[in-house]
Amino acid sequence: MTNTNILKKIKVQRTLLLMVLPGVLWMIIFNYLPMYGIIIAFKEFKIYQSMFEAPWVGFYHFIEFFKDEDFFLVMKNTLGMSFLKLLIGFPLPIAFAVLLNELKLSRFKKNIQTISYLPHFLSWVVLGGIMITWTSEAGLVNEVLLGIGIIQKPIAFLGDPKYFWGIAIASDIWKEIGWNAIIYLAAIAAIDVSMYEAAVIDGANRFQKIKYITLPSIAPTIAMLFILAVSGVLNSNFDQVFVLNNPLNSNASEVLDLYVYRTGIRAARYSYATAIGLFKSVVAFALLFTANKVTRRLTGNSLF
Amino acid sequence: MKKVLAMVLIVALMGVFLTACSEQKTEQTQSQSEKKDPSEPSEIAEKVEEAKVANEEIQPSYLDDTSPITLDWYINFSWFPTKWGGDATSEYITEKTGVSINYIVPAGNEAEKINSMIAGDTLPDLITLGWWESQVDAMIQGDLVYALDELAEEYDPYFFQVANSGRINWYTKDDGHVYGYPNASYSPEDYEKYELTSNQTFLVRKDMYEAIGSPDMRTPEGFLQALRDVKAMFPEVNGQPLIPIGFHDFNDEGCSSLEEYLQNFLAIQQEDENGNLVDRTKDPEYIEWLKVFRQANEEGLIAVDVFIDSRPQMEEKIAQGRYFSMLYQRSDLTAQNNIRFQEDPDTVYIAVDGPANDRLDQPLLDGDGIAGWTLTLISKNCKDPERAIKFMSYMMSEEGQLDLFMGPEGVTWENINGKPTWKPEVKETLDTDRNTFDNLYGASYTYWMLMDNPMSKQWESEPVEPFAQLYNWTKGKAVNKSQYSDLTLEPGSKLAIEEGKINSEWGETLPQLIMAETEEEFDQIWTEFMSYREEHSWEEIFDYQQQKLDDNKKRLGIN
Repeated sequence: MTNTNILKKIKVQRTLLLMVLPGVLWMIIFNYLPMYGIIIAFKEFKIYQSMFEAPWVGFYHFIEFFKDEDFFLVMKNTLGMSFLKLLIGFPLPIAFAVLLNELKLSRFKKNIQTISYLPHFLSWVVLGGIMITWTSEAGLVNEVLLGIGIIQKPIAFLGDPKYFWGIAIASDIWKEIGWNAIIYLAAIAAIDVSMYEAAVIDGANRFQKIKYITLPSIAPTIAMLFILAVSGVLNSNFDQVFVLNNPLNSNASEVLDLYVYRTGIRAARYSYATAIGLFKSVVAFALLFTANKVTRRLTGNSLF
Repeated sequence: MKKVLAMVLIVALMGVFLTACSEQKTEQTQSQSEKKDPSEPSEIAEKVEEAKVANEEIQPSYLDDTSPITLDWYINFSWFPTKWGGDATSEYITEKTGVSINYIVPAGNEAEKINSMIAGDTLPDLITLGWWESQVDAMIQGDLVYALDELAEEYDPYFFQVANSGRINWYTKDDGHVYGYPNASYSPEDYEKYELTSNQTFLVRKDMYEAIGSPDMRTPEGFLQALRDVKAMFPEVNGQPLIPIGFHDFNDEGCSSLEEYLQNFLAIQQEDENGNLVDRTKDPEYIEWLKVFRQANEEGLIAVDVFIDSRPQMEEKIAQGRYFSMLYQRSDLTAQNNIRFQEDPDTVYIAVDGPANDRLDQPLLDGDGIAGWTLTLISKNCKDPERAIKFMSYMMSEEGQLDLFMGPEGVTWENINGKPTWKPEVKETLDTDRNTFDNLYGASYTYWMLMDNPMSKQWESEPVEPFAQLYNWTKGKAVNKSQYSDLTLEPGSKLAIEEGKINSEWGETLPQLIMAETEEEFDQIWTEFMSYREEHSWEEIFDYQQQKLDDNKKRLGIN
């Protein structure tokens, strides 16, 4: 493309470009400019000095992090919980959306949908408080389990590391399933009805309709969301873990974000925290690329 | 795709390049040459003494300018709820001095808030925080706060008149300046004059304790038996399970009740006869008592709640009277104990003798010392440092203390035979409903940032029940431990980071110790922690603290 061509195109699309401009500016100012702060990951930054005064230390903070005795525990918890969330939490909203779509009673369907996405609007502070009460020794969960005879004496669920992952994953799914299903419901709604009609004429039953029409039609959406989800495996849900964690379950609840908060932000080791943040971004970047590539190979759908 | 890869490569190369040109190691060097001899009183302290001797009639400096001004004041305690204004005391002070205060309080974690204010250079006019916080040094090193003596020199000679030389001397830094002024501090003369009290208590619920025959809980056997008896006799309180023993909240660095408190109750000294710091954690009797708590847990006498609950849940349970016993700070359950008292005076928490060593020695509880509790500093961002230092002088002066403690004359107190005396209805509210008292009158150090406890003794009235018993119980058991305060490591230094790791390892270890199923498991966890400590420069940390202790003793004139 030659220069004159570009200029011509700009002239033709000037109104559209003008509309895009605020967004681009916003992104530059708030997403790209602050990136220069990354340099403190390679410096020994003291909070009372300016960034430029701080001496360079190279990869010191990265090495410190990899050497830290908590490194493996933190990675184990973060990756373990994230993969389980991906494994269980990712397909469930799809299944939920498909099943919801099969409901014929529209009022019932609407109610179910509303109830399922309601918890999404509550913050983890509130929901975490509810979870703490429910899972305590005298809480709802214990009463139910005692009542139906599954356990003989109450268990303090949040006081035992072996239950923590389960609680975290289950409560996360409970909170987000309805909300995450919305996008799939929208995708399903966009499927041409005539395809279903044709399938019915060909003698397809419900399961065959789901298998041959619904799922293939929303596959691009699934692929896209999957790629985004994979890149976030080092993100543990900070709010949730922060609220539910306590000294008794810290063996299972110490995740990367919490570690950064405790050793970095709270202890004012900003360089250290930045180094870990940068490490996370690099990993996320690599995962995004890999997932994108793999998905494109397998399904032909990809983000870019 | 290729372009992106190229970009990544460039960024990576830049990183390497930048690293290559920086071989600087970050070491903390102390300017030894300027360090003052701790045994000599500081120049400012001498100046304060001279001002006292000269006894000139200087008029209070706040009178120079009483035009309205609002100072922003950061309080590093998320629990501090009070706003300035709306009560008799603060309105009176504003009217008198022209100063209004806008308190800024962190919504969540304190360290996070103040660290970000320091990093962003957005400290407000005044800052109050605990003297032990690493941010104190960070602010001084970063030149973010004024030296109070320099401000006083420039604007406010009255400051030297009202300051206390002992406190000034304690807080004079190596550069010869004073950056913060403490509250709740007792200087050496004060603790000769007044009987020391402590906040640390072992509490039991009166009616239950008496019902099981007021047993001696000083020995492991007596202690465990009392918990067993009370659990058998009162399995439930108002339909909810009884909690046989409670502690301060377990946080990620441990639980003060099972550290300082327990060690103090066992009367473990902090230094030996040769002046060497004692590693109190290694004391055999301390370990023995931790095992007693392990035993208690094995027998189901420690509820899991105590490991999980934070302050709000605990306060609710205290108010409900669900704990039988507690190793707890008496001032932290004032409001809750009052609720119990109103409900039924027999169900209050009283202080009794708690865990003791084999010789059944009196506990050595932390008494009020020179370091006090908080420090108040003036930031370099202060919009009017002159007004700020003058207001501080006012609050430190006897006039200011009387206003802060008793409130405005005629409203909250009257002068009876030359002694300020609470009005009966005010006193009644103070003794029964602290919240209402704060909202209406705002006296009795609702605004405690610069409270001078030894000074306000002259106006104090005798404590009433249910507080008096707890207060009086600590008399004779409290000792002055000034020299052991401020053994803190240099913030951000390698040792401080190592210490942080040890602390958080302890935070995980302590509950494991108590919850260990067998004594062998306990021993194993204990040995692991001890070697963890050794691996993380424990010895160097200990040496550093020893050196600080020696300096502190010189500063206080102890041998």
